[in-house]
Amino acid sequence: MKTFAEHGFPGRLIAVEGLDGSGKSTQIYLLKRWLELQQLKVYFSEWNSSELVKAATSKGKKRELLTPTTFSLIHATDFADRYERHLVPLLRAGYLVLCDRYIFTAFARDVVRGCPPEWVRGLYSFAALPDLTFFFKADLQVSLQRILDGRPQLKYFEAGMDLHLSSDPYESFRIFQGRMLEQYLAMSTEFNFVVIDANGMVESQQARVRELVAHHIDLPSYRRAERPALPRSRPIRPALRTPKVVEEVVE
Amino acid sequence: MKRASAAEIVVPGPTPRRFYGHGIPRVELEKLAGRLIVVEGADGSGRSTQIAMLVEWLEGTGHATVQVGLKRSTLVSAELEQAQQGNILSRTTLSLFYATDFADQLENIILPALKAGFIVLADRYIYTLMARDLVRGMDEAWLKNLYGIALEPDAVFYLNVPPEELVQRSFAKNAALDYWESGMDIGLSRDMFDSFMKYQTAVQKHFREMQATYGFTIVDGLRPPDAINAELRKKISAVLAAR
Repeated sequence: MKTFAEHGFPGRLIAVEGLDGSGKSTQIYLLKRWLELQQLKVYFSEWNSSELVKAATSKGKKRELLTPTTFSLIHATDFADRYERHLVPLLRAGYLVLCDRYIFTAFARDVVRGCPPEWVRGLYSFAALPDLTFFFKADLQVSLQRILDGRPQLKYFEAGMDLHLSSDPYESFRIFQGRMLEQYLAMSTEFNFVVIDANGMVESQQARVRELVAHHIDLPSYRRAERPALPRSRPIRPALRTPKVVEEVVE
Repeated sequence: MKRASAAEIVVPGPTPRRFYGHGIPRVELEKLAGRLIVVEGADGSGRSTQIAMLVEWLEGTGHATVQVGLKRSTLVSAELEQAQQGNILSRTTLSLFYATDFADQLENIILPALKAGFIVLADRYIYTLMARDLVRGMDEAWLKNLYGIALEPDAVFYLNVPPEELVQRSFAKNAALDYWESGMDIGLSRDMFDSFMKYQTAVQKHFREMQATYGFTIVDGLRPPDAINAELRKKISAVLAAR
């Protein structure tokens, strides 16, 4: 599997992964704001945001119709829709695409549910790898606390109740998340995860994220064209002063 | 049709079973006592006629039957139909959507019915889904992994009818060609008749290639329905008797 850069796409894809409650969504939001304020071409994408299969997913979840295999396939369908209709065209058009969860969520979740790892990886083999993947690694207790403090009503599949780990949703959720963490850590090296210590302060995590993004990606080349090209009649300025002219145009 | 007396009812014995690939987690294959019979073929090849005749015969000879087919799952069939109407899905998405529909029926109908000792008659199976995707340029290895969830049937019959005849049957029945059965989404030709011929020819080519891998029985679909059914019954009788 190759990254988008290795496939020759002009755009770059940055993914964040981590357990529920690891703070990854906060971090990718702050990254998005930083990139936008630099006038860069940015698109933000979340798993499960496609309208089309939302109906089927919620029907399946509501009626508890889903098995590990159909759960995996319906999410793969959703991902494929998002991938082919949004991600690929935007990356072809030279966008910086930020993904809150990517294929690794499926690799971890579906395998914990009992699907064969090779089968799940095969399903997603049509997707290129991110150019940068951040894994927000919080202690299990920290992420559990963040979720359980804020959302006391756990949903059936979210708590992994379909796995019959425990009849208590909270206990089931704890075991499920623990297994997810094991899966994530096991693939960390294989997929070049940049591991961020998610127990620390929001600001220190974000500083590290921005530093790494700036280091790996040539950000100025993703600037959006704010204005149409200058009229031809305008006098051409000496080459030495060009950088200053660019600054004025961008303002 | 001769009715079997009570003593003549064949009780199917255990049969070796396997999935094509990774299969479905936690399925005890040795407990699947029934039989899975697949009838494949294009629209107008006579699949439903043959299946209806098989049901009559099987029930008459003391076997309980269940029927499944594509786009019939509780989970996604309505959404799939809707998506097809608008033709808004790209090929990988549509392919996975069909696979979801298939998996739902496999786990919720086919496997439980086999476990309960039923004869399951499938009006198309993974081969049609794979042939359609192959014509659309999908990767064969990817499809094989995807449909590695499928159980290997006890018998697969492919009703072979040339595109020229399919066109005639389609007009006799509906006075129109179906958009998807004509492969209009691929852009083989703007002329629907032309597109239908090209598409069906390409699908048949993939079926012939798959025959080598999956070893299904190719049945000449141009013969009278009774003659075709006699051939199917003969082969199914052997499958029922096998142990």
